[in-house]
Amino acid sequence: MDVIISVKDLQFAYDGQPPVLHNLDFEVSKGEFVGIVGPNGAGKSTLMNILCGQLKPTAGQALFESSAIDTYSKRSLAQKMAVVRQAANPIFDFSVEEIVMMGRTPYSGPLGISGSIDFAAANKAMELTDTAGFAGRSLAELSQGERQRVYIARALAQDTEVLLLDEPTSFLDWKHQVGIYDMLKRLQTQQQKTIIAISHELNLTGQYCDKVLLLGSDDYYAFGKCAEQLTAENISRVFDVEVAAALWDGVSIFFPRGKGA
Amino acid sequence: MLMVVMVVCARFGSREISLAEAFSAWRSGQVNIDYQILVRARMPRILLAGLVGAALACSGVVLQAVLRNPLADPYILGVSSGAGLGVMIASIFGLTWTATGISIMSLPAFAGAIGTVWLVWVVGYFTSRGRMTNLLLAGVVVNAFFSAIIMFLTSTATAHQLRTTVYWLMGTIAPQSYATLAVTAGFIFAGIAVLVVYASRLNVLTFGDAEAADMGIDAGRVRAVILAVAALITAVAVSISGLIGFVGLIIPHGMRLIVGPDHRRLLPLSAIAGATLLIIADTIARSSFGAEELPVGVITAIAGGPFFLVLLARYSRKVGWA
Repeated sequence: MDVIISVKDLQFAYDGQPPVLHNLDFEVSKGEFVGIVGPNGAGKSTLMNILCGQLKPTAGQALFESSAIDTYSKRSLAQKMAVVRQAANPIFDFSVEEIVMMGRTPYSGPLGISGSIDFAAANKAMELTDTAGFAGRSLAELSQGERQRVYIARALAQDTEVLLLDEPTSFLDWKHQVGIYDMLKRLQTQQQKTIIAISHELNLTGQYCDKVLLLGSDDYYAFGKCAEQLTAENISRVFDVEVAAALWDGVSIFFPRGKGA
Repeated sequence: MLMVVMVVCARFGSREISLAEAFSAWRSGQVNIDYQILVRARMPRILLAGLVGAALACSGVVLQAVLRNPLADPYILGVSSGAGLGVMIASIFGLTWTATGISIMSLPAFAGAIGTVWLVWVVGYFTSRGRMTNLLLAGVVVNAFFSAIIMFLTSTATAHQLRTTVYWLMGTIAPQSYATLAVTAGFIFAGIAVLVVYASRLNVLTFGDAEAADMGIDAGRVRAVILAVAALITAVAVSISGLIGFVGLIIPHGMRLIVGPDHRRLLPLSAIAGATLLIIADTIARSSFGAEELPVGVITAIAGGPFFLVLLARYSRKVGWA
């Protein structure tokens, strides 16, 4: 399969601070669903900001289709990769449709006038995320799960090959967590999207993702197929807790084991 | 709507005039007093009030969006007083604003306005480490500081200048020549046009710098352009009308409730609404107390103060400050 994103010997340190990312090496192929897991402060969000071009590597390379990501213009990168961040509430009451239409910004002309292609892309994005039913409503009236779907719809309206998501299921209950992952899986299989999702949900990552990047707070990391790399031993190493594992329906599931009273 | 208000407001003033009389004079070519008052005094003033109102309203809209704070407006953030201070310092050094009009006085006003935007931005940015929660506070402090300096300069001014200066500070739309009017209109229309061009990018920017970059927008550059244009049109407005508060606050919020937050609609409609409001306020200012005129800033402040408090109470609850 074609490699779409490759990271070679990547290092990153914020100004005057010890490095966050140490010599990372991995490749993401077209159409793969990759999960990134690791403890707080391991550099997951930093890595995502490097992948979407907002931070430059201190050393090493991050490539999109074999060109360094920081050589793309912001606009052309926004036509190739869409980002769903941990959603902050907007200060003004834009409607769902207006927000999804903003996903068309990387394609808009100098006057920002929307054409029929833009409306078609936004409508398709709303259908795929099941948000068309509240297109005219304000984000403030929606539940957390619905808001997350709206932001995913905006990313889909960007019509990109790659979708990056930063903890898409935080603050969601189980039903909505599964709902989001089911939807991402459909986008992977039916829309041929390449998806990279940061998550704290090890068991959802294991069930849905093809590959996983386990990122430790030190220089340790593991990358590969979930079945091979998402193991009790690796998880224990990365999170520094005791891990219990069980096999259920052919899928490994993991629990953190407390020290007890 | 704006047209109707302009015509109706032309009717009112310290002296009753008949529009029919004035129009008959215009048609027949025989100049009468009603025609003189209408063309020489009222029309320029109404147009000027409209321009100032449009500039302040648009400036308020974009400042609220760029600073991501619904309580921002050019007056509260100190942009107006910065421009005012620029004009005062320039006038102390011998430049007069009556004779030279807009072409010279707008330069120190613009310098003052852009300097204030920069100062508020830097103070607010660094004290809140990029989250911009302190921007409003920084603006209020800068505003108070500049106002104090303006007061100081006013109190040391000669008695002859004093009344003019104080009136100017309170916000007074003095009659201007049609040439001044044309230059003012040029700057303000051009400024608003630039803002409208940036409207869709401004929409995205209200979600934050990172999200704007995700959509391919250079947030820093867009913000710099918008702040500079907002400072420019505020400076032009302040240099001819003094400090008029709250128009930049009331209009954006009112219009957002009516047409929603999309800046492509919000900006042009706020310009029209701001013009309408200030023409009405100025008409009240010049006609309600007979020959004695009130500064229009007094009218907008009396109406705007309570409005701001209501807004502050509602917003604080939403954000969880209170």
